[in-house]
Amino acid sequence: MFFNSLAFAIFLPIVFLLYWFVFNKTKSSQNALLIVASYYFYSCWDWRFLFLLVFSTFLDYYTGIQIEKGKSERSRKFWFWLSILVNLGFLGIFKYYNFFATSFSELLNSAGIKASPILLEVILPVGISFYTFHGLSYVIDIYYKRIKAEYNFVDYSLFVSYFPLLVAGPIERATHLLPQVKVKREFDFEKAKEGLCQIIWGLVKKVVIADTCATYANAIFDNYTAMNSFSLILGAVYFAFQIYGDFSGYSDIALGVSKLFGLDLLRNFNYPYFSRDIAEFWRRWHISLSSWFRDYLYIPLGGSKGGLWMKIRNTFIIFVVSGFWHGANWTYLAWGFINAIYFLPLLLSNSNRNNMDAIQLKFNPESVRVIMSIIYTFSLTCIAWVFFRAKTIADAVLYLKRMILSRDFSFQYLDNERYNYELLLILGIFVLIEWNNRTKVEPLSGKRNMLKVAFAIIAIMAFGTFSDYKEFIYFQF
Amino acid sequence: MKGFLIYIAKIILVIILIAVALDGFYTAIFMQSKNRGKIETVFNSKAQKYDVVVLGSSRANNHFVSQMFEDKGLKTFNYGMSGGHLFEASLMLKLMIERKYAIKNVILEADLNLANDHQAEGICALFLPYIHNSNIIKEHFSNEENFKELYYIPFYRYIKFDAKIGFRETFFTAIHKKTNSLDNLGYYPLEKHKNGNMKNNIVNLNPLPHNKYYEEIKNICKANNINFIAIMTPMCENVVGMNYFDKVKKAYPEIYNYENVVVENQYFSSCGHMTDEGARIFTARILKDFFEK
Repeated sequence: MFFNSLAFAIFLPIVFLLYWFVFNKTKSSQNALLIVASYYFYSCWDWRFLFLLVFSTFLDYYTGIQIEKGKSERSRKFWFWLSILVNLGFLGIFKYYNFFATSFSELLNSAGIKASPILLEVILPVGISFYTFHGLSYVIDIYYKRIKAEYNFVDYSLFVSYFPLLVAGPIERATHLLPQVKVKREFDFEKAKEGLCQIIWGLVKKVVIADTCATYANAIFDNYTAMNSFSLILGAVYFAFQIYGDFSGYSDIALGVSKLFGLDLLRNFNYPYFSRDIAEFWRRWHISLSSWFRDYLYIPLGGSKGGLWMKIRNTFIIFVVSGFWHGANWTYLAWGFINAIYFLPLLLSNSNRNNMDAIQLKFNPESVRVIMSIIYTFSLTCIAWVFFRAKTIADAVLYLKRMILSRDFSFQYLDNERYNYELLLILGIFVLIEWNNRTKVEPLSGKRNMLKVAFAIIAIMAFGTFSDYKEFIYFQF
Repeated sequence: MKGFLIYIAKIILVIILIAVALDGFYTAIFMQSKNRGKIETVFNSKAQKYDVVVLGSSRANNHFVSQMFEDKGLKTFNYGMSGGHLFEASLMLKLMIERKYAIKNVILEADLNLANDHQAEGICALFLPYIHNSNIIKEHFSNEENFKELYYIPFYRYIKFDAKIGFRETFFTAIHKKTNSLDNLGYYPLEKHKNGNMKNNIVNLNPLPHNKYYEEIKNICKANNINFIAIMTPMCENVVGMNYFDKVKKAYPEIYNYENVVVENQYFSSCGHMTDEGARIFTARILKDFFEK
């Protein structure tokens, strides 16, 4: 069941009405309904993996309590590591085993030792990377005594399995979501209205921007050997907007849906392509994952406090692991590695926190510098996205090489029966709308709300891509 | 909550109003389409006179050289549509008859397309802008699975087939941007491709014993005193499962088998589609056999 499917358009109003009109008496009944709805939502993908989700939930629930109750450090450690190893074990088996087995076998073969890997014929349970990270942060926080264990299984299950965030995040923290599910929610008109606007804006991002960009980006990436410099540059830009529209659109819908039920989720995107440097980009892109890695990996490793080599090591670890989180492919590792290279000079020169303030433009040279730095940062991210999108690292390198060496900047006709430049007008309008609303969560709320909603609906209906339907990219992670 | 429900009701109302308005706007634009494609041209045309009308899929579109018919003094247009099935060919003929076209001969490419009687989504979509303005189109689609959605939900058809009749096509139609589908009297010549697919496997393909739309075309021709010529057109020599054409002949004895008229790979752009050179050899043979008396 996709957020942009007819099934979800039926599912959501039913759950909404039941939630506020039938199960609205107590917090427990509200939570129970949301859990049933969430499990139903998840089982629409593949009911068999529901058992894995329930098992994972129960494991973290139980180990969390055992860690808290543990009288000796040894006992606490035992339950802590049990949870960590089982969680990462599942993730490793389902997501990474085949990759490592194949890579290891290729390594042996290249050394002259014949080996054929034993591969598992398993499909990746949707959302496993997300709900595993929910559970991990919860257990880690209990172990380090930052939070108390949750004794109510329904409440804890809702924290892990709440359907708006179940399959593609945002990656929630127990400190943020659990307190909200512990109290009865009262209907808040303004919040619900905001939620609805965010859903509509998320749909604009998904069907107008992401899916339309996808047809162009695919036509260019899939035939990159026949493309000239201009097309290849546009291909990278289109993919940058595809992945942004897709993932931030999903996040907007998730946050909006959640607001309808009176629950606030963590903001996942904050106009990342208006970043003035890579450090700022990573404070604005997939915020819930970046902050997760910062808090549970980077800081425990020593963060930026140690010596030079420690800083370099930690930077590479966090970015490469973050790349690897996206999938078992060398291209994701390369993407993470490149971002580490981008980030490192800022860290070493202590300028990684230079751009913490809001962007403001005036008619002065400083604003020109800001605009140039935004364009420069966007260009860097586009280069990195080529590695993320390409099938292999070799493809990505050839793509970039051809982009530089072709030196042909003419308009090309693509195999999606469109010219390579045709989408630029829509993207230009989209960027202007986002720029003018960069201080808000989404551009539809506020004054003349209904007029803006009407324009958004016209955009979805008239400019959306529907016939060439695409899943949300982050579902595969 | 009451305020929110009113807000949702307003949004639903806005959606409905926008859908109705966009539907009307798009349809109005398609109603004045002149030079985009064959379907729009026929729909918005008045009575025509033809000695020969060619119908079928790309294997008609790329194989019957209209100009060669014209050179023999036969007013001809090739209405073959790449990707089309007999569903669309039949509807096209119905529209011509409704517009009082006087047609002497219909040449129907009837071979691989006899294997199904479904609509070809990419082509049938081009009829849909007119579904509320033509009983013929409405009737033709009425037995299709998705007819109710397409007919009753405003703008749904434009969303469902956005790649074919969405904003982009509507915009080009509005500015009368010309396509090449009407060039060469509807015939589309192909070139030899280095990487053309010269292998084809049709072992699992079987002609339907009574293809509904083939029969429909035949009956329309009979009812309107049109000479009906059904032809199997050539495929390259590497096809696996060539007995398909024998199966067609067995099920439909009246269809002329010209599959073997051109076989050499040099005359094919891909296994199922001849080059311009191959098409000219083939058309010459058709002219000789059917129009030189």
